[in-house]
Amino acid sequence: MEEQEEATGFENEVRQVVGDEDVLRFMDSTDNYLTLFRFLIFYPSPAIARQSMGASRINGALLDHKSHSAATSVQVDQEDVDSMEAQPRFSLRKWALVADGKQCYEEQKLGEDKFPGKTGSLQLRHRGDSQLSEEKTSESGAQLDVDDQIQKERAKLLSMFGTLISPKLRAAQLSFETALETLVEIANMRSAMLSSFDRVRKELDHQKDDMESVPSGRL
Amino acid sequence: MANRAQIQTNNSALIAMIADEDTIVGLLMAGVGNVDLRRKTNYLIVDSKTTVKQIEDAFKEFSTREDIAIVLISQYVANMIRFLVDSYNKPIPAILEIPSKDHPYDPTQDSVLSRVKYLFSAESVASGRR
Repeated sequence: MEEQEEATGFENEVRQVVGDEDVLRFMDSTDNYLTLFRFLIFYPSPAIARQSMGASRINGALLDHKSHSAATSVQVDQEDVDSMEAQPRFSLRKWALVADGKQCYEEQKLGEDKFPGKTGSLQLRHRGDSQLSEEKTSESGAQLDVDDQIQKERAKLLSMFGTLISPKLRAAQLSFETALETLVEIANMRSAMLSSFDRVRKELDHQKDDMESVPSGRL
Repeated sequence: MANRAQIQTNNSALIAMIADEDTIVGLLMAGVGNVDLRRKTNYLIVDSKTTVKQIEDAFKEFSTREDIAIVLISQYVANMIRFLVDSYNKPIPAILEIPSKDHPYDPTQDSVLSRVKYLFSAESVASGRR
């Protein structure tokens, strides 16, 4: 909060020199970066499940250093902001062992969940269309498939602990999955913040150079 | 910040972690754990026996590996190698300082926010002199 207040103090000063748009973008991303940290929850902790299932059972299974590839990874895309600065954009590929088509659907679904306003407006625009019901049926079918796959992947990871899994461990898994989604959003905000900050700083440097290049006699 | 991204875009990349055991175990349950054929992991568990040198080495390794896009580091661990974390300025991998069970997130210690704040302060001081 202090950061936000201090940043707001800088805003007025910088806005006199740099364009409003860049400053607002920077302030927005900083605000979102800080807000997202408030939603970052890592609980219930696996430590609770460790009490009921035994520490060696949980740590032994997860940290055994057997060769395996990550089921959840990140995709990186470079995004051009007004064709001036390249800005990396991260998207989470949850349970990437799922088949390619379904995987894309999952990524898309995640993206839509993050921006509910956008999808809502699209749906309103297409209301009354005869194709809508068919699309909805196929979408819900695909969604069910994806959900099934995800459930299977989750269960597969938990199956290494044995057949009787503590519900607390399942809850911890879900909570950390959600936290991971938030972390990827934070990474995106960080990248937006740094990119816009770079632009603001460049503008300021440019202005400074211009000021210095004006002959002193004119001042 | 203007440094070139090391990672090839559009490819799937890993999330690396340097944190306490509970956080690592939780994130491994979310499926981010990776162990390659040489038994090289994408995480380091920090406990009372872990030395600062080990943390430094892990941070240097994760921040230079081409298959890693995000490095998650517990903020209290980042404080142990603050000089390294603060001097890192590449966009990829993105370094995120995360809270842990006993150490809530403190924005005043975050390296990115500190950098932004420092540069703005320097800028405002410079403009004040003019």
